[in-house]
Amino acid sequence: MTHRLSETTQSASRDAITSLNAAGFDARVLQGHGPIAVEFMSYSCAHCGAMEPVLQQVAETLGSREPIFRVNVAVELDLASTYEIEGTPTLIMFSEGREVGRSEGPDPDAATVLEAVTAPFGLQ
Amino acid sequence: MMNAAPNASAPARQATPILLFDDECAVCRRMANWVRGVAHNARGEPTIDVRPIGEDPEVLRKLDPRLDIWQVYAKSHLLMPDGSILIAGEAVAEVLRRSPGMAWCAWLFSVQIFKVRPFQSLLDLGYVILSDVRPIFGCKSCGAPALWARPFVWLVKTTKRLTGPKAHAPHRPNFTPLAATGQVKPRPPAPPPP
Repeated sequence: MTHRLSETTQSASRDAITSLNAAGFDARVLQGHGPIAVEFMSYSCAHCGAMEPVLQQVAETLGSREPIFRVNVAVELDLASTYEIEGTPTLIMFSEGREVGRSEGPDPDAATVLEAVTAPFGLQ
Repeated sequence: MMNAAPNASAPARQATPILLFDDECAVCRRMANWVRGVAHNARGEPTIDVRPIGEDPEVLRKLDPRLDIWQVYAKSHLLMPDGSILIAGEAVAEVLRRSPGMAWCAWLFSVQIFKVRPFQSLLDLGYVILSDVRPIFGCKSCGAPALWARPFVWLVKTTKRLTGPKAHAPHRPNFTPLAATGQVKPRPPAPPPP
């Protein structure tokens, strides 16, 4: 039997993506400035699980140039409905509170995801 | 994450093991219902507390700080009363041990030959295979099938497409449609025209 307590607590504290509820979404995304990416996801979606480490890597790469947030569509049904989310993962890019780009189910590799979240802003 | 030993920081557990299952996966739901049916003692009390994983990582961490929601969704987790966590095939073996109707076969998984548990290894392999082929059974939230299983999944989906009703939605390999998981809020009806 292997004990891996330290690994799971580390992964929890290393989260480079902030989870948002509806109020947080309003404050950080709709009232936010500059490029922002939001992943609409669900923990039960295995595609989102495959995307998670890649998105963490991209969030660390971009840092404060483009914060990445996470919205759980299984909890935030109103947000999912407002943004007409058809499935997960869906990445929506915002600028000054307005949607400027969207990527549904991108390939879970760093280059593709980085391209998807930065293309609307010409950041790369 | 491998099976985890008892841990001092884990909160005190109830006397009944807790089996966490993926409520979005039809295969897992059927398994969970089967466990609910067989895992009870002579007085009819459940010997295993079967619970859906849910969508809140913090709720899971309150159960045990070692639980990572992504890992729990990836494999079955059984939280034991002594604070240990059994995962995947080990969890299945323990569920069988605690199900009076299945105890006749559960002893096999403890048999050791030269420090190897051959039947447990077979069960672990069976778990991996079932886990990999879940998309064949219509599990939209289970992700992309493993490489070895892709020809079988393709074959089943092609047969279904040819013989069943026509699907209107385009196939997207890295995308879980919300309609398939029930995580979609019905839109309010349009207001009547003035």
